[in-house]
Amino acid sequence: MPARHSAPILPLQLLRRLVPRAEREEVLADVQTEYAGRVATDGRQLADRWLWQQALASAPALLRWSWWRGVRGFEPLANNYRPGGPMLKHVLADVRYATRRLMARPSYSLLAIVTLALGIGGTTAVFGVARPLIFDALPFAHEKEVTAFWFGGSWTENEFTYLRDKFPGYKTVAMYRHNDVTLRDDGAPARLLRAISSSADIFDVLGAHPMLGPGFKKGDDAVGAEPVVILSYGLWQELGAKQAIVGTRLTLGGTPRTVVGVMPRGFWFPNPSVRVWLPQPINPEGQNGSFQLIGQVAPGLDVYHMEAQTAALVTLLRERFTYVEEWDKTRNAHVDPIREDLLGPMRPALVATFAAMTLILLIACTNVAALMLGQLEGRASELAVRSALGANRRRLAQPLVVEALLIGLASGVMGAAFAVFGFGTLARALPLGTFGETASFDWTLFVAAMSFAMLAVLLVVLVPSVSMLRRQHANLQNVLSLARTGGVRGAGARVERGLVVAEVALAMLIASGAALLVRSVTNLYAINPGINTEGVAVIDVAASGGTPASQRDQAFNELATAFQAMPGVQSVSYAMRLPLRGNSNSFGITLAGEGPLEKSSTFFRMVSQDYFKTMGIQLKRGRLFQSTDKLDSTETLVVINEALAKKYFPNLDPVGRFVGGGLHEQQRIIGIINDVAEGALLDPNKPARYYLATQVWMGNNASFVIKMKDPRHAENMLTPLRQTVATKTPLLALLRTTTMQRVFEDAVGPARQIMTLLSLLSALALVLGAVGIYGVLAHFASRRKRDWAIRVALGLPGSRVITNILRQGVSLIVVGVVLGGVATMGLSRFLSTMLYGITGVDALAFAGASAAVLLTGLVAAFIPARRAGTVDPALILREQ
Amino acid sequence: MNRETADAPLGVFQEQILVAVLRTRDEAYGMNVRREIERVTSRSLAIGAVYATLDRLEEKGLLESKRSLADEHSRRVFTVTAVGGRALAEVREMRERLWQGIDLRGLLKLAGG
Repeated sequence: MPARHSAPILPLQLLRRLVPRAEREEVLADVQTEYAGRVATDGRQLADRWLWQQALASAPALLRWSWWRGVRGFEPLANNYRPGGPMLKHVLADVRYATRRLMARPSYSLLAIVTLALGIGGTTAVFGVARPLIFDALPFAHEKEVTAFWFGGSWTENEFTYLRDKFPGYKTVAMYRHNDVTLRDDGAPARLLRAISSSADIFDVLGAHPMLGPGFKKGDDAVGAEPVVILSYGLWQELGAKQAIVGTRLTLGGTPRTVVGVMPRGFWFPNPSVRVWLPQPINPEGQNGSFQLIGQVAPGLDVYHMEAQTAALVTLLRERFTYVEEWDKTRNAHVDPIREDLLGPMRPALVATFAAMTLILLIACTNVAALMLGQLEGRASELAVRSALGANRRRLAQPLVVEALLIGLASGVMGAAFAVFGFGTLARALPLGTFGETASFDWTLFVAAMSFAMLAVLLVVLVPSVSMLRRQHANLQNVLSLARTGGVRGAGARVERGLVVAEVALAMLIASGAALLVRSVTNLYAINPGINTEGVAVIDVAASGGTPASQRDQAFNELATAFQAMPGVQSVSYAMRLPLRGNSNSFGITLAGEGPLEKSSTFFRMVSQDYFKTMGIQLKRGRLFQSTDKLDSTETLVVINEALAKKYFPNLDPVGRFVGGGLHEQQRIIGIINDVAEGALLDPNKPARYYLATQVWMGNNASFVIKMKDPRHAENMLTPLRQTVATKTPLLALLRTTTMQRVFEDAVGPARQIMTLLSLLSALALVLGAVGIYGVLAHFASRRKRDWAIRVALGLPGSRVITNILRQGVSLIVVGVVLGGVATMGLSRFLSTMLYGITGVDALAFAGASAAVLLTGLVAAFIPARRAGTVDPALILREQ
Repeated sequence: MNRETADAPLGVFQEQILVAVLRTRDEAYGMNVRREIERVTSRSLAIGAVYATLDRLEEKGLLESKRSLADEHSRRVFTVTAVGGRALAEVREMRERLWQGIDLRGLLKLAGG
C-alpha cells in the first residue's frame, strides 16, 4: 500500500457530507487509497485534479441517492446494525411523523400556528410599512450630502436671492415650497395635484435626474421665464405614458406649461404624494416667508458637522436682515441631514409600534414554546425509550426541530396573509401622513414573514430542546417510573414558570406603554381649543390659479348657498384658514397714534359672516360681522381675540379703536372673541385678527365649515357635500373633506394614533398572555391531579385546591408585573416625545396597566383551578 | 425512475455495473467496480454514480451486498443474484439476436470511411 499523502480537505469534506453515514468510512478510505496511488504514479497535481473531479461529479448522483433512499426507505441488508444511515431519510421520516402528530392534535397545532401567525403577521406588516422609511435609501444620489435648514417653510425669496451665492460651506442651495395646482384636462373636472415650486437647481442639489427630458435649466426660475413643469412617473403613467410628452403643454393652475421632464419610477421629494415640480419665479424683493431651504454641502464637509458654516451664515443674516422675535432666524440656527428632516418625525411612532409588535411576537414564541414543552411532558416515556434504545442527542432533538419548523412554515404563510390584510390598515393608522397613503407592499413582505417565522422557530425550539436534553441526563429509570405515575416536577415545571413570568412581563410592558399614551392623550383632549368641534364638516376647495377675484368670490358664495340648502345643515361659512392647522399668515400690527410696533406679529384670518357662530366661538365684547357689513364700507372691520386685547390694549376698551398693519391703517375693531388655538394645539394663545371675507381675501383656497343640526351626521354628510362641490361649482377643485373633530385629532398629534394602535396591541398581548397562563396552569394542574385527587379523597375541601392553584398563578403574574413595570420605567424615555402632562413614571398609568394584566391573568388562572377543584377524585384515581 | 422493476430492461450503465461486479468476483466493492469499468471502457467515472446505481440494483434485487470482515475497513461487497444473472443473460441474448447477420467487418469499414 503506497504511503498516504494528505489529500485536499475540501473535496473530501464534500464527499463526507454527501455519502450516507453507514458507508462513509469505507468510501472515503477507498478514495484516499486511490488518491495516494495516483499521487505516486501521476504526480500530485493530477491526483488533486482527479479528486476534485470525483467529488464534484459525484455530488448530483449522491444527492439523488440520499433523496431516493429517504423516499423509498431502502436500507441494504449489509448496513443492518450499522449506526446512522442517510440523514435525509430521518428528516423525511420526522416530517411524516411530525405531520401525523400535528394532524392528530388539531387544537394544539391550530393554537400554536395561529398564535405565531398573529405575531409574525403583525411584525411583518409593521416591518413592511417601516422598511422604506427607516431602512431604504432615499431616492436620490446626494442623500449623504444634503442638509435641510432650520426655520423650514419660512424663508423668503428676498433672503434666498441675497444669500444664493454666499451660503458658506455649500456647493448649491435650493429653495422650495408646497404649491398645489389644478390640472384641467379637456372637459374633465379640475383636479388638484400636489406640487412643489422650487428654484431651478433643486434636482442638482438632490442628485436626481429626469428619466425623460432635459429637466430644469438655469434661469427657469427667473421672473418672466417660460413656464415649464417636471412630472412624476405616476402622473406620466396616468397621462398615457407617452415618450413624446416632453415638449408638449399641460395647463396647470390656469397656466400652459411645457413638460421638460419625467422623473424616474420610485423618485419622490419631499414626499411621495407630490406629482409635479415647477420652477418658482423668484422675485428678488419677495417677502412671503413660505420657503424651505436644502443645500448640498461643499466637498469634504460632513452634514453632521456644519456648526461653523451655520454660524457664518447667521452672521451674514444678522448683517443684512432684522427680524421680529418670533421669526428670528438668527436664533436656534442649525441644519439637519435631509433624511432626518424628511423622515425623522415619523421614527418614534414606527419604532414604538415595531417594538410593541416584536414583543407580541416574543409572547407568541413563549406561548408556543410552553405548548411544546407541555407536549414533551406527555411524551416523556416515549423519549426515555428512544434514548434507552440508543438515540443520540441529535436524533432526539431532530423531531422537535422538524415539528417546530412545520409550525413555523404554516404560521409564516398565515402570517404573510395577515400582513397583507393588515398592511393598509396599519399604514393608515400610523401617523405617517402622505407616506401612509402611498405605502405599498411587495414580495419582500413574504420573505420578511418567512424570516420572522424562522427566527421565531429558533426561539420556540430552544426552550423545549434544552429542557429535553438536560432531562436526558437524568436517571433513565427515574424518568420511566415518573412518566408512568405522572408526577413530574422539576426542570420542566421551572422552565414553564419562567416562561409565564416572561410573558406577563412582556404584556405588562406593552400595556403600560399604552396606558402612558392613554393618559397623555387624555391630557391633550382636555385642552380647550376655543371652538366647538362637534358636528362640523370641513370641505377644502381651491380655485384655479388665475381665476379673477370676482368670479372666485362668486363661486365661494354659490357653494355656501348650495351647502346651506342641503338637508340637516344648520349653518355654513368659510375661512381662509381653519384653527389647529399650523402657524401661518402672520402680520405685524400698528396701533393708531403710536407708530409701528417693534417686532409684533398677529395671526391674520379671513372669515365669512357666520363663521364664529358655526365654529362655536364666543363673543366677549362688541359685536360680530353682520349682513350690513359690505364691501363698500369706507373702513375695514376687524374682530380681535382676547389675547390681542390683553397685549395691546391692557387698560383700554379696544372696541371702536383703530389698528393697522398688514392692510391699511384704518381697521376698526368691532368685537372681541375668545382665544382660539389658531396654530398648534399646545401653542400659547397668540393675538389674532379676523376680517370679513367679502372685505379682505387672500389666495385661492377656502375651507368651508358646515355645522349640522344633528352632530352625529357630520361624518355621513361628507359624501353628499363632496358631490355638491363636483356638480355645483366647476370652477372649484375639491382639496379634501374631513370633520372639525378630525382636524382636532390630527392636532393632538401622533400620540393619539399610536395610542389607538398600542391599545389594540396590548389587548392582543393580554389575550396571548392569558392563553399562556391558562396553558401552563392547566398543565400544572393536570400533572398533579393525582396528588390532588388523593388529598381530596382524604378530606381536603375542593376550594383549597382552587386557592392553591390560583396562588401559584398569582405569584407568577405578580413577579411578571413587577418585572414588566421596572422594564417600562427604563424604556419609557423612548415614548417621552409623545408624552404630554405626565412623566414616564406615572402612577396612574402603571396602576391601570397592572390591574388589567392582573385581572386577565386571574381569569386565565381561575379556569384550570376551578376545573381541578371540582372534579370527582374517584374518576381520576380510577383513570390511573 | 422509481417505477422501475426487475422486469424492465437494464440501462447500459446498469449493465456495465452488473458485468463489472461479475468480473471483480470477490472484490466487488464500489471503488473496485468503478476501477474495473474505467479500465475496460477507458473513460473516467464518478464514484457517487457507481454507489447510487449499486444501491438501486440491490433494491431491485439484481444484486445483494454483504459486509466483508476481512479487510481493514468493513466494506459492502456485492454479488449478483439469480435474478440479476437472468437479467444479464437476457440482455446478452437479446443483443446477440439483434446482431445476428450483421457483418462486423463491413460495419467497421463504414465507420472508418
